[in-house]
Amino acid sequence: MSDHAIETRALSKRFGSKLALNHLDLQVPRGGIHAIVGANGAGKSTLFRILLGFLAPTAGDTCILGRDSQRLTPEDRGRIGFVNEEHTLPGWMTVQAITAAQRRLYRRWSQPLFDEVLGHYHILPEQQIGELSRGERAGFNLALALAQGPELLVLDEPTLGLDVVAKRAFLEALMYSNTSDDCTVIYCSHQMDEIERVADNLIILEQGQLRNMSPPEEFCARVSHWVADIPFKGPDPRTVPGLLQLQRLDGLHHFLVLDQDEGFADFLRASGARSINSMPVGLDRAVNGFLAQNHAAPAAA
Amino acid sequence: MYDLFKAELKRFCLWAGAYAFVQLLVLLFLTRVVDLAQQPWEVYLVIASVHALAGLLLGLYQFGGYRRPNAWLNLLHRPLAHWRIALALHGAGALLLLVAVLAPLLLTAAWQETMTARVLDHRHLLLCLAAWSISLIAYLSGSCAMLLPRRVAAAPLVFLALLPGAYATGVGALALQLLVLGWLLALMIVAFKPDIGSPPRGTAGLLLALPMQLTMWLLLVLAGFGVELLWIAQGSHPNNLAQAPVGSAKEADMADGDDLIIAGLASSKLADAPLWREQAAISDIATFGLAITETPIWNELTNRAPMEFDDEERRIRWVFSHDRGRFVGYRLTDRKAVAELGVDGDGRFASPPLPGPRRMLIGRDTLYEYDSQSQRVLPRLRLPAGEVIAGLEFFGERLAVLGDRALYVYDARALTLDTSLLATRQRLPLPAAAGNLQRVDVMELLDGHLVSFTMTRMRHNGEGPSFQQLVRIDEQGRITDVARRELATGYGPAWIWQTWYLSPVIHAVLPAARALFSPYQPGHTRSPPPRPPMVPAIAGALLLLSLLAALLHVRRTALSLPERLAWSLACAVVGLPALMALRLIVPPRETLPPLATAQNSPA
Repeated sequence: MSDHAIETRALSKRFGSKLALNHLDLQVPRGGIHAIVGANGAGKSTLFRILLGFLAPTAGDTCILGRDSQRLTPEDRGRIGFVNEEHTLPGWMTVQAITAAQRRLYRRWSQPLFDEVLGHYHILPEQQIGELSRGERAGFNLALALAQGPELLVLDEPTLGLDVVAKRAFLEALMYSNTSDDCTVIYCSHQMDEIERVADNLIILEQGQLRNMSPPEEFCARVSHWVADIPFKGPDPRTVPGLLQLQRLDGLHHFLVLDQDEGFADFLRASGARSINSMPVGLDRAVNGFLAQNHAAPAAA
Repeated sequence: MYDLFKAELKRFCLWAGAYAFVQLLVLLFLTRVVDLAQQPWEVYLVIASVHALAGLLLGLYQFGGYRRPNAWLNLLHRPLAHWRIALALHGAGALLLLVAVLAPLLLTAAWQETMTARVLDHRHLLLCLAAWSISLIAYLSGSCAMLLPRRVAAAPLVFLALLPGAYATGVGALALQLLVLGWLLALMIVAFKPDIGSPPRGTAGLLLALPMQLTMWLLLVLAGFGVELLWIAQGSHPNNLAQAPVGSAKEADMADGDDLIIAGLASSKLADAPLWREQAAISDIATFGLAITETPIWNELTNRAPMEFDDEERRIRWVFSHDRGRFVGYRLTDRKAVAELGVDGDGRFASPPLPGPRRMLIGRDTLYEYDSQSQRVLPRLRLPAGEVIAGLEFFGERLAVLGDRALYVYDARALTLDTSLLATRQRLPLPAAAGNLQRVDVMELLDGHLVSFTMTRMRHNGEGPSFQQLVRIDEQGRITDVARRELATGYGPAWIWQTWYLSPVIHAVLPAARALFSPYQPGHTRSPPPRPPMVPAIAGALLLLSLLAALLHVRRTALSLPERLAWSLACAVVGLPALMALRLIVPPRETLPPLATAQNSPA
């Protein structure tokens, strides 16, 4: 058995002239909740589609739970749960009909777990899927996926479009189910507060490449926010080491930098800073700064 | 699997029920005003088209919904083999069509059988089955179109386009539909896979490659048809000129009988020719043609024409029953069954007869006459064994019967004198296949007849010649060639043989497939003229170009060596349609730029 839930080697995928995945090498260990973040178009959904065998790679190899992604058997698929942002379920079916069908389909079906997760929502068995709100559908979808007893659960932006109440219910259902005890969860989201709450590991993809893989707090520790009072123009941004973001607010220079220690204060002093303050940043700010660095922007910006 | 089947049934059950209800209402209304079992072929074509459209829309809609990336992933990502999911969904679709299409037809048939005196044969039940089968073919075509990549989605639809042109009938038609269903089912199974964006490869790819090549050929032919429409609109098309050119096939097709015979005699060297020209100007010329291109066949699903006639004197409608082999009569006044009518009493007909003029009933090789007074049907003439009646015409005191190999002339007066079989007075072999016969013009001479055969049918596509043949036959049956003139078609060889040189192989295979499970029919026979040397030269050049282009293309694809060889061979043999199919089915392989280094290295 492979030690990795997900493994890609030099994985590339090209759509026309656009390279969605660019020689991606990724090894996700088994167990825990792994958050995958990245800007739109970073290749997250393409990666999932290739991992589940729904898209052929242009080059490279992919394994999921130790099996070649392009040759997954029905048994392999029974070990992998998947929840997408659309919560695609047959709208003409009732909750109990779908539940009964899933129960018959998955040998490791856990009814207590299903009931527990669904307990976070006011869903009646005789309700049609088409009558459920988006949040209820998300919760029902999560309950179905968790009760299947998957070894790997892929959640692709599951809270997209949910209001704060529904989002909270979804996260609580996920966290209180203790799923990650015996299941690897891949959680893809743009919501950093969610990731901060649930993720053990933070994977950042950018332009189809792996840019970071570490616990979220480690990543936050790498990013620091410096405020310096520098008269006149300040240093040329191209000379600022590890610069992610530079702003000038109320006469003060705000530097968001990566992998800088106290030596950065010396750099600022050498650049004419009269006073310097350093402060930690939250995950949201850190990831935003990190991703904004190479994000597309108008030429005049 | 069963859960998916049930879920899909539930998804469309209301629609299927509504369709069935509306269809039943329409059918019941129609049965009040016409006998649905005795309609001409065109009526059944319309009904079949409606059911085909319903099946097609169901397939497109059902799988159009699943085709969205997330829906597709949600459907297939489960511990169930893909083919089982496919069969569950399509099984539900087939059952829904059974309810929507077949059930109302069978109910209507049952009503007709039990509540009316009208004829209902087993073939009508097979016809209902064929309607379901056609809707299934359309349904699978629609689902395959959705399951295949967009650029090749038209391939499965080619079956729907070509099927109405097939000659098969009766159980043969069902067998042909079953073959198509089997093909589409296999194509659907191999297309039903997670990576929906790539077409089936390897051996399974053949299931797509063959219909795709047919589709491309059909597109090329349609492009030619489009050019022809422009030609017609432009006003110089040879068949649409204000006045047909002198000496053209079009002029011969449209001419009065006397003008045609006079024009044909112009080149005759016979001494009597000037006299005949004068006579033609004042004589009555009998003009007729191939009236029966397809004769009725036992247990055929549809009628070429209504198989019934009315005895106005006795107010009885006689309807032919394939099961009984006789006509079944019911009174027009109260719709009550009265009697059966067989050959010379209750004898079974040798072949289903088609009602003709003057109470004649036209069998495959025998002409029968119905006598209202005695209510008897008697055979009045019989063609030699193996020959088929393709038309008849009364002129003067003569009866001309057009067979598929010869024209026969009888003395029509004998029909009123006794009830025995008529003796053949004259037999005149056709100068080419009956399927190419446009018209026959007969002028009575003092001693025999002058007959003009205009062989111009199918001249536009290289399947027929274009000439007029004048022949004289005397009372003793001696035949003299009088004149032959070639008739200009107005098309050049490059136009006439365009469907051939686009792909000689498809041009040969398609007619064979069209005639599969089909009986011999006079209208299907052809005497194609020889092809001018430039036509094979064009075909050879196109095949060579296709091969070279294929060799260049396959080098840029991810195909294996055997696949490359197979495609190259296909292009060398099939030509342009195969090359077009290759480029659509197998795009160039995706390539990668050199590894781009990240500005910031990963942590």
